[in-house]
Amino acid sequence: MIIASMRSRMEYKLSFIFMFFALLVFYAGQVGVVVLIVTKFHHIAGWTLGEMAFLYGLLVFSQGLTAILFYSLNDFESYMINGDFDRLLVRPLNPLGQIVSSKFEIASMAHFLIGTTALIFGAQKAGIDWTLGKVAYLPVVFIGAVLIQGGIRLAVSAVAFWTTRNSSLVHTVIYSSKEMIMYPVSIYKMWMQVFLTLVFPLAFVNFYPSHYFLNRGAGDLLFHPLIQYLTPLTGTIVFVFGYWLWNQGMVRYQSVGN
Amino acid sequence: MNAKQADKTVIKVDNLRREFKVAEAKEGILGSFLNLFSRKERIVKAVDGITFDIGIGEFVGYVGENGAGKSTTIKMLTGILTPTNGSVEVAGIIPYENRIENAFNIGVVFGQRTQLWWDLPARDSFDLLRAIYRLPQERYERNFRELTEALDLSKLLTVPVRKLSLGQRMRCDLAASMLHNPKILFLDEPTIGLDLIAKDAVRKFLKFINHTRDVTIILTTHDMEDIEALCERIIIIDEGTIAYDGSTEKLKQDHIHTKILEVEFHDYNPELENLPMLEVIKSEANKKWLRYNLDGTSMHDIISTLFRDYCVKDLSIHEPKVSDVIKAIYKNGGMERASVND
Repeated sequence: MIIASMRSRMEYKLSFIFMFFALLVFYAGQVGVVVLIVTKFHHIAGWTLGEMAFLYGLLVFSQGLTAILFYSLNDFESYMINGDFDRLLVRPLNPLGQIVSSKFEIASMAHFLIGTTALIFGAQKAGIDWTLGKVAYLPVVFIGAVLIQGGIRLAVSAVAFWTTRNSSLVHTVIYSSKEMIMYPVSIYKMWMQVFLTLVFPLAFVNFYPSHYFLNRGAGDLLFHPLIQYLTPLTGTIVFVFGYWLWNQGMVRYQSVGN
Repeated sequence: MNAKQADKTVIKVDNLRREFKVAEAKEGILGSFLNLFSRKERIVKAVDGITFDIGIGEFVGYVGENGAGKSTTIKMLTGILTPTNGSVEVAGIIPYENRIENAFNIGVVFGQRTQLWWDLPARDSFDLLRAIYRLPQERYERNFRELTEALDLSKLLTVPVRKLSLGQRMRCDLAASMLHNPKILFLDEPTIGLDLIAKDAVRKFLKFINHTRDVTIILTTHDMEDIEALCERIIIIDEGTIAYDGSTEKLKQDHIHTKILEVEFHDYNPELENLPMLEVIKSEANKKWLRYNLDGTSMHDIISTLFRDYCVKDLSIHEPKVSDVIKAIYKNGGMERASVND
């Protein structure tokens, strides 16, 4: 099914190329602003350019992974509006699996290009000493980060089971969340840091694990230093919650109809 | 056609009910603003206690006006919706409890939306379905050959589905729904929007699989010609309850009490004093349209009197269509409710 969706995307070659370059230009703009600020002030909240790059790399790379897996959920409301969800329910498969594999956004390769560049550049510049533990923890962080972002997308999509339309919510949550964790979370006021840790735990995507990779100690942490290692756990919790909400929505759909 | 097997039930529906909560919208701009805060909810009984059995290999027309409860019933049979009350069993499985197991047994065609992957050639969609339904390669290939031939698909298979005409797409959709050998096929308006040739191809195919594969077919349609051409049995649903369940032929017999005689005379148009039982409904040049009651006089008497006393050039008999009968049943509401289960 994934191959099929790749093939159907490739049917629109121009659209693919445009999307790819649009993403590149968008990110180039974002990076430009950050570089400008950091070179002007030498650091943001005690984070150097290299460290900022690493932070940013973690975000964009994990976002690419999330987008590949969950991109098609962005448009979930159309399944509700057109009644296409019925179509999925008469097949002997999990509807979520069918939606997730229905569209494979190849343009999200742009994320990997930018993410990898930022990570390598950041790691070099910040002089990360790649111990065995760090090498092993990196993929774990990616998995955790994908679970966090995927779980959030799932929860947000599930809202459509109740409201039918949810695109404005999807866009607010997905696009604003990127902006929120582009910078070290420590620049925010305390309540915002608490919010991004406990309520909307995006800080686990890049901010907390970065402390471990960059050997930053506990200087700007609001919580116990152990929090650096909690990305996989948080990811599991968020994803389980998202999936639970999704299933609640399915039950409601089947018992309410549309 | 499959009378011997028809006594083996494949679908059991018992006192099935389904209610919906509908929010009552207030009128006007102020009203829609108020709707955001408080909504009055009203309970609508979409399906209100229906009971029927369907045997293996039956071809059943499931008809009703928009909002009568047709698609709600189908959704409960396919496992999309959970009933409020009552029971459903499809090939021994309760669809809403074992949706996935049920999905292996059924094929579903929605006339308005395709199950094929829009941007891919149908051939690729078929390959995907093979994987989805975990079909053994050999069985898949045999089915594929049979269906491609029966529906004349060979030239369509390599074209992306979005480039196919509606009729071509419907043919591919039908093949897609039959690839996994479903025991039961649900069709929701399969001929909607099709031209006559395409309609004919669809009907021929449905007849063919009903005969050769013993597939039980439930057809929802607004096209009464579909029903007359295909369905031996018809279930009419009206306001959530069954208004008629029986053979299409019997429906006609029970509800058709009059026929229309169209008579053309030899260059004159006589008054028919000798035939008082005929009601003239139209008279034009040397032609007359006459209605007569089946319960009264015999056909033989009418025709022989006509030919004996008048100079008849041409004569034809028109039977009312099933659609007229159904219209009459809707109009009478519960009045003429006949449950003929024989």
